Amino acid sequence: MTETSPLPPSPRRTLSARARWAFPAVVAVGVGAAFAAPPLLASADSSGLPPVTPEELVAAVAAAQPQALSGTVVYTARLGLPSLPFGPETADPVNLLDGSSTLRVWTDGGERSRVSLLGDMSEFSVVHDGPEVWTYASSDDAVVHYTVSDADRARYESLKDDAAAGQVPGGADLPTPTEAAQQVLDQAEQLSHVSLDAESTVAGRGAYQLVVTPKTPGTLVARVVVAIDAQTQTPLRVQVWSTQDAQTPALEVGFTDVTFATPSDSVLAFSAPAGATTTEKVVTLPTDEQIAADHAAGADGELPEGVTVSGTGWATVVQATGVDVPGLVAGDPSALAAVPSGHPTIGSESAQGLLDQFGPQDGAGPASKFQGLDPAALYDSLTTKVPEGHLISSALLSVLITDDGRVLAGAVPAATLQAMA
Amino acid sequence: MSHAETMVGAPVQVRGAFGRLLRSELRLQLGRRRNLVLLAGLAAVPLLLGLVLFLTRDTDLAGQGPGFVGKVTENGIFLVVASIFVCLPFLLPLTIGIASGDAVAGEASAGTLRYLLVVPVARTRLLVVKALAALAFAGSAVLAIAVVGLVAGAAFFGLHDVVLLSGDTVPLGVGAVRIAGVVAYVALSMTGLVAVGLFYSTLTEVPVGAMAATVVTAIVSGVLDTLPALSAIHPWLLTHHWLDFAEFLRIEPDWQVVAGGLGVQAAWVAVFSALAWARFTTADVSS
Repeated sequence: MTETSPLPPSPRRTLSARARWAFPAVVAVGVGAAFAAPPLLASADSSGLPPVTPEELVAAVAAAQPQALSGTVVYTARLGLPSLPFGPETADPVNLLDGSSTLRVWTDGGERSRVSLLGDMSEFSVVHDGPEVWTYASSDDAVVHYTVSDADRARYESLKDDAAAGQVPGGADLPTPTEAAQQVLDQAEQLSHVSLDAESTVAGRGAYQLVVTPKTPGTLVARVVVAIDAQTQTPLRVQVWSTQDAQTPALEVGFTDVTFATPSDSVLAFSAPAGATTTEKVVTLPTDEQIAADHAAGADGELPEGVTVSGTGWATVVQATGVDVPGLVAGDPSALAAVPSGHPTIGSESAQGLLDQFGPQDGAGPASKFQGLDPAALYDSLTTKVPEGHLISSALLSVLITDDGRVLAGAVPAATLQAMA
Repeated sequence: MSHAETMVGAPVQVRGAFGRLLRSELRLQLGRRRNLVLLAGLAAVPLLLGLVLFLTRDTDLAGQGPGFVGKVTENGIFLVVASIFVCLPFLLPLTIGIASGDAVAGEASAGTLRYLLVVPVARTRLLVVKALAALAFAGSAVLAIAVVGLVAGAAFFGLHDVVLLSGDTVPLGVGAVRIAGVVAYVALSMTGLVAVGLFYSTLTEVPVGAMAATVVTAIVSGVLDTLPALSAIHPWLLTHHWLDFAEFLRIEPDWQVVAGGLGVQAAWVAVFSALAWARFTTADVSS
């Protein structure tokens, strides 16, 4: 059949077969170039920032006004923890322990902000609007609304005015790059060498890199690198490098995309959606006396009962005695009473919100999340059995739980803790 | 040069010839019983899903399920998204693999390809028509799920204001536009797979082989996407950005994410269309 009927010609066959096959190759190269070019171009213009000294840079950061901004933050932890038996795809703060997470951040530079932790098909949002904070988890359609009581509201306003007058340095919230960097800089001056690294480009913006190297020997922290936007002095990225890995930072949180403009009002406002389960929580503001007492305790180096601190600077080891960890793990409520300072508190409402998500909570909440998981088995899989007890070691932090109920923790190698136990 | 070419000469540019060819091809693709059965099968997914969720809505199982399945009982419009989410990993690639893998290989195996080329139609033009018809089928597959999902969702659960992933509520009209965005994004996300299927289809005269290879490509891409060791190549995988349709349901969609996902599809379309063109215009068509 094929012999009798001539092949239908490809009309106007002016190109040779070889030329035709070259076309896809050209297209492939073009596509590759189109994807590779923008990052290369972006990194090309990072030089040429005016020179500064570390002192000038730190001062500029301290003096800089909080910026209204919106952007995308990628957080990556390579702590070397045993992998958790939860899928990475849902937006759950527990996933911040390891792996990579994407957050969207919006803030007006003042007291209104929204942070969303993105999952594939879900989102965990923390919306902070003056004295009110909401958290919303799309996976279980649950709202938690934190607010201050009416009595405290007036006090909140006065505290806010104090803050505006510069009496309290900006409140700490979820660790956006801004706040994380501020904490690092506060620590830096006494215990560390501060220097400048080569200029860099973060989220497409020229940035100075401040390097904080611990003076203390025997810590797991090799250095902390903070990238600071040259124009607005906003910290754009924080990297914490471990002594155990010279190739990649153990912790990294930084903007991949940032816009310095006030976000729209709809993003910064929140009202609980219909049909969601809403939990109301009234937060009690500490009174002036409590704040003063806390300050005094901090100044005297007075610690809660059963807690001792040894070592200095970056190599500090905190030791708590009388903790019935196996009891806690097994969910024995009486074990909680023995924990020094009872319920852990954080000086920030939204961070407290996150903490409450994990913490033991009237049998409901997180317990239901771990349904079907044996907490004791989980504890065993997360820790390593050593002669002194159970050990959790990661790239930046080691925790040793001894069999006689002591807990030692510090940014030091596990061997240090074992020697102390 | 062959005898035929001197007889037929260069294809005469007849006005509307391309349109007629495209119309007949579309009629063929969308009118074929096999393709109609495929579309009906896809359309049955939202019906089935809606029915199951409707029957279990008062039990403990209500409000549970991956992705958006748990939200359907509160708002029927989410049946569209939930059905798309359920079909995305396998059913949609399978349907689209069948249609696009068959595009050229089906004609070759039926022995009709050379008659098409005798008409005379330039091979490039025939390939474009085949590609457009396969794209139209892919679009109608996604649309079938969406339309049936919307109707079934409205009938079973009613339509209400849409609660976004961020917990904010937008009016039904705005929500419908966002869901239309999801449907459009998913439909455009299939273009890369159509191009891959079209290329395989030009390689063989065995349509089943091209169909299987297309589906396998989608599945292998999905498997590679789950391996952490390959995270460096994940952003360029065919299926990696498919689930980014969730971006339309966040409070402020990040258009860079949407554009990134569509850009990767455009890259796959460019490379595999070029490969299909090079193969089809140089191949000996003997059947």
